[in-house]
Amino acid sequence: MKQGTLRTILMLLVALALTTGLAACGTRGDGKDLSGGSTQASSQPGKGKPSVTLGTKNFTEQFVLGQLYKQALEAKGFTVALKQNIGSTEIADKALRSGQIDMYPEYIGIFNTAVAGDAKAYPSVEDAFAAGKAYAERHGFTLLPLTPFTNTDALAVLPDYARQHNLRSVADLAAIRGLRIGAPPEFRQRETGLVGLARVYGIRDVTFSPLTIGLQYQALDDGKIDTADVFTTDGQLEGGRYVVLDDPKNVFGFQNVSPIVSTSVLQKEGPAFEDTLNAVSRVLTTEAMQRMNAAVGIDKQSPADVAQQFLQANGLV
Amino acid sequence: MQDFVDAFRFIADNTALLWSLTLDHLALSGAALAIALVLAIPLGVTLGHVHRGSFAAINVSNVGRALPSLALISIGVAVLGIGFVNVMVALTVLAFPIVLTNAYVAVDGVDQDAVEAARGMGMTGREVLWKVELPLALPLIFAGVRTAVVYVIATATLASVAGAHSLGDVIVDQATYRLPGVLGAAICVAVLALLAELLFAALQRAVTPRALRLEERRAPVMLGDPPLTKERTAPT
Amino acid sequence: MIPLAAAQPVIPDFGRGSSCVRENGTFCWDWVSAHWGDTLRPALVQHVALTLIALAAGFAIAFALALAAHRRGRLTTPVVLVTGLLYTIPSLALFQLLVPFTGLSRTTAEIALVSYTLLILFRNTLAGLAGVPEEVRDAARGMGLTRRQLLWRVELPLALPAIVAGLRIATVTVISLATVAVFVVNQGLGAPIYAGLQQTFKTELIAAGALCVALALAADGLLVLMQRALTPWTRVARSR
Repeated sequence: MKQGTLRTILMLLVALALTTGLAACGTRGDGKDLSGGSTQASSQPGKGKPSVTLGTKNFTEQFVLGQLYKQALEAKGFTVALKQNIGSTEIADKALRSGQIDMYPEYIGIFNTAVAGDAKAYPSVEDAFAAGKAYAERHGFTLLPLTPFTNTDALAVLPDYARQHNLRSVADLAAIRGLRIGAPPEFRQRETGLVGLARVYGIRDVTFSPLTIGLQYQALDDGKIDTADVFTTDGQLEGGRYVVLDDPKNVFGFQNVSPIVSTSVLQKEGPAFEDTLNAVSRVLTTEAMQRMNAAVGIDKQSPADVAQQFLQANGLV
Repeated sequence: MQDFVDAFRFIADNTALLWSLTLDHLALSGAALAIALVLAIPLGVTLGHVHRGSFAAINVSNVGRALPSLALISIGVAVLGIGFVNVMVALTVLAFPIVLTNAYVAVDGVDQDAVEAARGMGMTGREVLWKVELPLALPLIFAGVRTAVVYVIATATLASVAGAHSLGDVIVDQATYRLPGVLGAAICVAVLALLAELLFAALQRAVTPRALRLEERRAPVMLGDPPLTKERTAPT
Repeated sequence: MIPLAAAQPVIPDFGRGSSCVRENGTFCWDWVSAHWGDTLRPALVQHVALTLIALAAGFAIAFALALAAHRRGRLTTPVVLVTGLLYTIPSLALFQLLVPFTGLSRTTAEIALVSYTLLILFRNTLAGLAGVPEEVRDAARGMGLTRRQLLWRVELPLALPAIVAGLRIATVTVISLATVAVFVVNQGLGAPIYAGLQQTFKTELIAAGALCVALALAADGLLVLMQRALTPWTRVARSR
């Protein structure tokens, strides 16, 4: 091959390398996350305010909530960077405290037990919220008002299994030897998990299978586990395919959602920011969340589309 | 830095857990490799013996090497569901091409003079294969096995996202085990892969006739040369 | 008021997925065509971007290191040791280890991906340069070429096949590992793969997985063509 041609090719390779490198530096570090969302012009109190990073945890409902809050904020002119599917509560909390995200939607019970380390069983959701809010404020965060819907963990079994062992509530599980429970790994040390189940219901003879969230239904269907940790607003629970056991002693707690936001960010964004978020939270009833979760979880719509349709129907975008 | 020190403390404090996961890890890797070897070595050796199928045998390794591991596992989950079997199948698919190509090239590339001489002495095709070609091909076959072993052990870490168990269970669960745990398990995987590499390197040396060993030392091999003698394939 | 007083919302009809999707059939083409634009194509584009950036940076660094090591042989061992160490760390772990330093961002993903390319690109570039016959170098020096001219006009062109071979391996490595980057930043084909795993949604798993495989094979094929174009003398038929 001619020396000149070789040199040209080498130069082209180097040029390509440099161009790509420069292009990378030119674009925003995070690029566009796979989260779609629309921006519509209306009154724009958010224009000119600093960008907010919103994170979501690693399951369907969180993706939907993230899209709901994001799109509502963007409709009011705010700039939102969405970091979807960050991980479990512990990871999200870490991200919030280290400033990698400015806010994320948290469940009040999980916040108290897993984040604040407060295992106290509160008699009402108002008390739980008050305790959580106090803790958050001490650490520079604000808990915004709770949504009407609550999404607690629950233990689900197959209908046949429930009939076989006469299961109505979680308390009935204590009688089963070597109960196989499937749940996300963090369930093992949670008050709203194995720890609480052992302490309150005396369920100790357990074989624990750590499963990525979402795999538990498959594992249940395949007979790999006897009972699975599910969320009460999961779309898969539609239609009675699984029996959800009652939790009379409220081990799984109150789990309404409160967007937890860094207090300094909240102040910088102004009152319209908080109002927008509250306007969304206000319309999130249990039924609404279940329908949205089903649309994403069962009909496999994208969270962005589902959120947009819901917000449009309720005049929030 | 502190996390790094804590990683070793984690390993010391959690030997039972890590040992159990290591066994799971080895079971998964071992099963996949066993199947890959049982299928690929006879096939590769036969093809090499009759000097047929060179295009396929060489290119299957190029294709195989390019297969993204998580993508394969994900397709496997769709087709076979979550759990041990699916991940094992994906790992087998990843190991197969490496072993096949090496076995093929090993037997195909045996010095034809030796083969001619053997034929001249009246050996049948079968005897030539077992008494001449295989012994001479063994080192390169072993090289393929060695590469496949390290690759599979490294890739088996991903099994945890697909419902199977391995040392990856700890790596994937930073929430429970924190950064020292993640580091500790990562160190275990690296050590496991290293031990496997050393073991098979020793085995490879053991089956290499002295004469070939000297020749190898004189001709250094680059990555990217077919066949895959010294090549390391992708990490996971 | 806590919780907020529930204003009864209007819940639109989100539409039912096809029966294929609802039953979680093995592959629902309708879902793929419906979500190509909002899920699969963006993921593919991001994946290509992640790959190209990692390769560009990795090549730049490895190339510089190789030139330095070619000049000063003593550098080889420490470089191989460090890059080799990085190569051995399971990707899942390396991504997580970087997060406390560089956050949940594309930067973290890129740093990890670049680390995995360094060993291969460094070793191949160096081996390619080292593989230039001494006689050729002597001849060039005899013709009066300076060291720089020797490098750029003689050694590098002759090392090109080895460099491209290394690029080829590095490329498929990065494409494979970029799927694991989803644990740090929700981009690339790892995102639909992980989302599919979280729901055991077969169609998404197969679609994203197949796209990733296709991308790797296409990139590999492209580089093979480039390798052949640059080294016509290696296309020699095997003598039998």
